Amino acid sequence: MGRRRRPAGRAAGTGTGARALPEAIAALCRTLPAGPGPETFRRAKFDLPEAAPALWRLLSCVLSPRSEADTTGSLTREAQVRLVKSAMRSQGYPRPALFQLPEDGSQGSRELLLALSWLLARGPLIEQLLARTRVRLGDEMPVCECEDLACGRASPGLPTPSKDADSCVDVRHVQWLMGKLRFRWRSLISSHQEHCALLSKIHKYTQGCHSDRNLGHLSVAETELLRDPEGGQQLLQMLEFENVRLEAALEWRRLEQVFWQWMDTVLGASPPDSPNAGSQPTFLPSIPERVAGELELVSRELQALQKELQEAVEVRRASWEAQVRGQGPEWSAEMRASKEAVGQELAALWQAWEREGSLAQPHRPNRLVRSEAGAPPGQGLWATEAIGALRSKEACLEAVLCWLQGQSQQELAKLAGALPGVIWIPPHGR
Amino acid sequence: MLPADCSLRLVAELRAALDACGEQQRQLDQSLRVCRRLLRAWEPTRPAAPEPTPGPEPNEEDPSPACAPSLQDLTELELLTQALEKAVRVRKGISKVGEGDKAPSLKPRTVATPPATTTSVPPQAPGQAGNGTSETRSPRGIRQPKVPARSLPEHRLLSTRERTSLGRGARATRPSLGDQQVTPSVTPLVPEAFTLKEKGTLLRLPMAFWKAASQNAHLWAQIDSTQASDSANAAARTRFLLKMQAAVSCQACGSLRTGGRLKELPGKSQHGMTREALGSAAWATVLAPTDCVQEYRCLLLLEGLQATVGQCLHWLQELRKVVAKHHLELCPSGMPARASCLCEGGADAAWSPQPLLYSSTQELQTLAALRLRVAMLDQQLHLEKVLMDELLPLVRTQRPCCAAVCRAVHSLLCNGGQHFPTVLQDEPAD
Repeated sequence: MGRRRRPAGRAAGTGTGARALPEAIAALCRTLPAGPGPETFRRAKFDLPEAAPALWRLLSCVLSPRSEADTTGSLTREAQVRLVKSAMRSQGYPRPALFQLPEDGSQGSRELLLALSWLLARGPLIEQLLARTRVRLGDEMPVCECEDLACGRASPGLPTPSKDADSCVDVRHVQWLMGKLRFRWRSLISSHQEHCALLSKIHKYTQGCHSDRNLGHLSVAETELLRDPEGGQQLLQMLEFENVRLEAALEWRRLEQVFWQWMDTVLGASPPDSPNAGSQPTFLPSIPERVAGELELVSRELQALQKELQEAVEVRRASWEAQVRGQGPEWSAEMRASKEAVGQELAALWQAWEREGSLAQPHRPNRLVRSEAGAPPGQGLWATEAIGALRSKEACLEAVLCWLQGQSQQELAKLAGALPGVIWIPPHGR
Repeated sequence: MLPADCSLRLVAELRAALDACGEQQRQLDQSLRVCRRLLRAWEPTRPAAPEPTPGPEPNEEDPSPACAPSLQDLTELELLTQALEKAVRVRKGISKVGEGDKAPSLKPRTVATPPATTTSVPPQAPGQAGNGTSETRSPRGIRQPKVPARSLPEHRLLSTRERTSLGRGARATRPSLGDQQVTPSVTPLVPEAFTLKEKGTLLRLPMAFWKAASQNAHLWAQIDSTQASDSANAAARTRFLLKMQAAVSCQACGSLRTGGRLKELPGKSQHGMTREALGSAAWATVLAPTDCVQEYRCLLLLEGLQATVGQCLHWLQELRKVVAKHHLELCPSGMPARASCLCEGGADAAWSPQPLLYSSTQELQTLAALRLRVAMLDQQLHLEKVLMDELLPLVRTQRPCCAAVCRAVHSLLCNGGQHFPTVLQDEPAD
């Protein structure tokens, strides 16, 4: 693994720092997936080219999207370089030098080290990586739809294939695809129902078995472990491996400060950025290609919304003024209270919107536990609460969908009305 | 026929949705297979052929290594085999008499056997010698032949103490010598397959696994708590980020700040802002306030929303100016769009799993169904917006507008492709 003692030429660091730094870096290497050795970090500080490949590999593993995390090992060096560059760009990495590194991945270890530190500084990267590969012992059920959403969108940056005549489709093909999608959803829902019934049975039959009294029953993974001891061995090994990484992560958190001091020196050692950026293109975090179209769409939506709100406000104001005429002076206190409450609600709403722009944080995982209805939960989430929250979300979404469909219907009715010699009968219920 | 770019986008979106559904279905099918297998009678997982190989095979996970069976162990084994044979005879006798109380006759055996050699004599299990295990390796080797299903339950039903002494409870070794002698006499017994339904409550987790799992839970809890009280490290990280930002030239900075907000735009606009705002507006208009206070609150909410939307529009105008001015370089990235979630992923999200408590199958099924419904609605909303974006301009610009196209577009936009309006040709009678 290399020498643990730092060379005396290192600028910063106290007496204890000199000992803690190697430990900190070693802990970091142990906790990262595909972690390079501590020697790589030392070489990277001095921008030695030998450290570059390992760091490219590490960054591509860290930055690859969740579903592709397993395949990054098989990427070529060039592919890794491209992946890292585009991912850093989309995250908004400020230093341009990274994007100018050669594609063959032979240089730039110091820049890569800075990039890694930037990622580490921005958010709980280590914890996110650990959570990504967490061993799931319990039966998990997410209570929100985030996981499902993340996969279901078409990638906005896909290179558009050549537009030849074959790519024109009939609108009936689109209808067919929609129908297929609907069918798949329906079978997915029914499969989930069956899954829930089976889970419930397994939990019921194994009540009282678990060594942890709070949980009470075994999960599918644990029962499977008992049924198939060999598979259980694998599970155990994965658990132990994860424990090692977790311990390394905790040690890293303890010794982190020293690392940041050291990184200051690395930052100082790298050449300052050239002030002339005129020739360089202004790179921005990746935006969907159809930026102008997106903005147009959003602006139209907002304007429509504003119109609707204006009408609603007028109606409400009129009716309220009619009502308030007969009210006495105790009204003003109530009015003030309402104003405050509504102000708070709106502020909370705005904050929630603002927060959406921040780094995506995975939700806390849930482990299903079957227990009696009246029992005190202690620490945990009751399914009934989650159901309530989901119902309100559902109502909200349905309202919005209806509104949008109403908009389209109005517009289409107008257009269809203009057709000569045709009678337009909307389908039943509309 | 739809034009090429429109078709491409629609087909891409629908295919992405279909693939996501398909992927979920595949994973779910796998889980279903596992669950169904667990609920059936458990079959042993080893191949049936008895291995005649002499000599102990290494069993690395067994913590009690005993290299060669000593003479004492062999004699103990003989004694045990005899004892078990007797148990079988007794049991046969009892079962001939009727469903007697087997427990008392077998209990003395449990007491009598020395703790080094273990026997499990649960009341229901047939007295097959299969579970006469010994810590020491029998000469027939660790990898014991697959025993018929009826004897399999034995090693599940060991007490924890016996499991500890075995190391891995599931790795019950069998003295095949005794096995083969005893098997013929046991065959007439009624085979009882292990089912979770009947004997699930008797399962116990292996000790090593339980240790690793509780260590894992403890470490995750520690990670949560260190994250909560992490101010010094957070300060160091922020300092580093600021330094890095300062080292970058200013011109890039300005455009990056704008770019950062642009990045937030798709997330906010497509999902958070318009939908949430629309949702609230829809509520506010639909809600019939019952009294003056509610009326007032409605009014305030609407006015507040109107102000917010106005602010957003203003901000949007600014952004459009920036986009037009800076000739942005649009970089397609391979990363899928991060779909924002309706729920507020809190800034202090925890990593360790929390229990999700449910009390009946119905509840679990409702929860799952609702979650999927919300995800489906969200996807439908997204698709609706894409369709509106693509199809409405087509219908508007195509003059003369074909009735068939109108009909198809109406069905897609207004009913998700489920219902069609009726179009009647009204030929004027000449």
